[in-house]
Amino acid sequence: MEVSGVKIVLDHLTVGYPFWSLAAKGVFSPGIHLISGDVGSGKSTLALMMAGLRAPDNGTVIREGITRTMLSFQFPEFHVTGLSVADECASWNLDLDAVILSAGIDADEETPVLSLSRGELKRLHLTCVLFLDYDLLLLDEPFSSLDCPGKEQVCRQISERSGGITVIFTHEQSIFPRIDHIWEIAGGELVDCGDMPGAVVRWQHAPPLVKKLMRAGRIPHAVTPEGIREAACRTRG
Amino acid sequence: MISFENVRYRRLFIDTLTIAPGVTSIIGPNGSGKSTFLKICAGIAEPDCGTVLVDGRSPRETEIGYVNEFPDRNILFSTVKDELASPLRFRRTVCRETDRAVCTCGEMMGITRLLDRNMQDLSGGEKILVAIAAACISRPRVLILDECDSHLDADRCAWLDTILRASGAEYVIRCTQQMEAAANGDHLIFIEKGRVMHAGTPAAVFPLLAGTPFYPLSWRYPV
Repeated sequence: MEVSGVKIVLDHLTVGYPFWSLAAKGVFSPGIHLISGDVGSGKSTLALMMAGLRAPDNGTVIREGITRTMLSFQFPEFHVTGLSVADECASWNLDLDAVILSAGIDADEETPVLSLSRGELKRLHLTCVLFLDYDLLLLDEPFSSLDCPGKEQVCRQISERSGGITVIFTHEQSIFPRIDHIWEIAGGELVDCGDMPGAVVRWQHAPPLVKKLMRAGRIPHAVTPEGIREAACRTRG
Repeated sequence: MISFENVRYRRLFIDTLTIAPGVTSIIGPNGSGKSTFLKICAGIAEPDCGTVLVDGRSPRETEIGYVNEFPDRNILFSTVKDELASPLRFRRTVCRETDRAVCTCGEMMGITRLLDRNMQDLSGGEKILVAIAAACISRPRVLILDECDSHLDADRCAWLDTILRASGAEYVIRCTQQMEAAANGDHLIFIEKGRVMHAGTPAAVFPLLAGTPFYPLSWRYPV
């Protein structure tokens, strides 16, 4: 992958509707970024702007060295282009058997894509997305509808990404991949919580278990299952 | 009680199952038949054989509120206000009473600020909040929610638990992938490959899932 030097800069973005607004500035370097925020805070709109699919009202999104961008929408049904699972895999130019095996879904080449359960459809979609390399990978709510083993598998795949910028927009509360940098949307602004592990103490949207651990003086060094286990089992804060 | 006897439908095989009043969480792997189970409970699908009864009556003879796992599949009308009013208008409730109920329900559900907006302008989480409100507005006896919490933040998930308790529904049946939420319910059913593998209270069922990803994190690591 040719990803060294890639960067995305949010240069004083603003976007406003009669009912809400969002202001964002910051620099996204290679690594895995997490953006959390309440329902309706503008996470998906920010993802669209970072992908170049929606223009901000003011400000600019500067993409340096980024030639391959992927935005995975919150709703996997938005990505469906084929009638069957075989058609869908072909639309990604991927091997059907490899995708079905990796996704772990009960389907064959003739299975209609929209007959899959929502969780299976999400597995199929994310498997196709994560089979390929990008300079900028934007994942809008990648964990919604996945079962717990599915979340763990996707987290492993994301954690193993070795280059490029990955941005996860989510309000997942339990299972996370390796996270390098945390951001959150609060009060209509994108707030930079910083790099891990220091970011976790500034993270207002931290999951309940992480908050509980911090109240007990056990600040997790990572929010992965391993990081949570280490903090929970730590005998000294 | 909601009772299942010798139910066969697609991948579901349920010999005998009873669900007591309260909040019941349905958990299990993707594609195991959870949504199909909910559709049968709601009367949206009828089993090929066997019976499902809600206190002795067919689901289709019971007042039921249902929220689909695909947010856009819940939407019938263009504005939030019309969407929320629709269950009452379909039953020809007088306009003044409907308007009052929409305001009251909007306040209770914390979505008053959304009432004048278009459905298609809402975020995924907001669409689900409106769908839950529309399912609750006619105060159904049975409330069925298919993975609604996968679109909600932590505060909204906690709030949803409170709302479900306050909805007045005698039976709340929810499919979820949030094990912490499932641990807070009254009953828990684990479905795998179309079969009910475990059923009981969370305290009885979760220990049977220890060592699997379905065991709640907060139980795994008590702080």
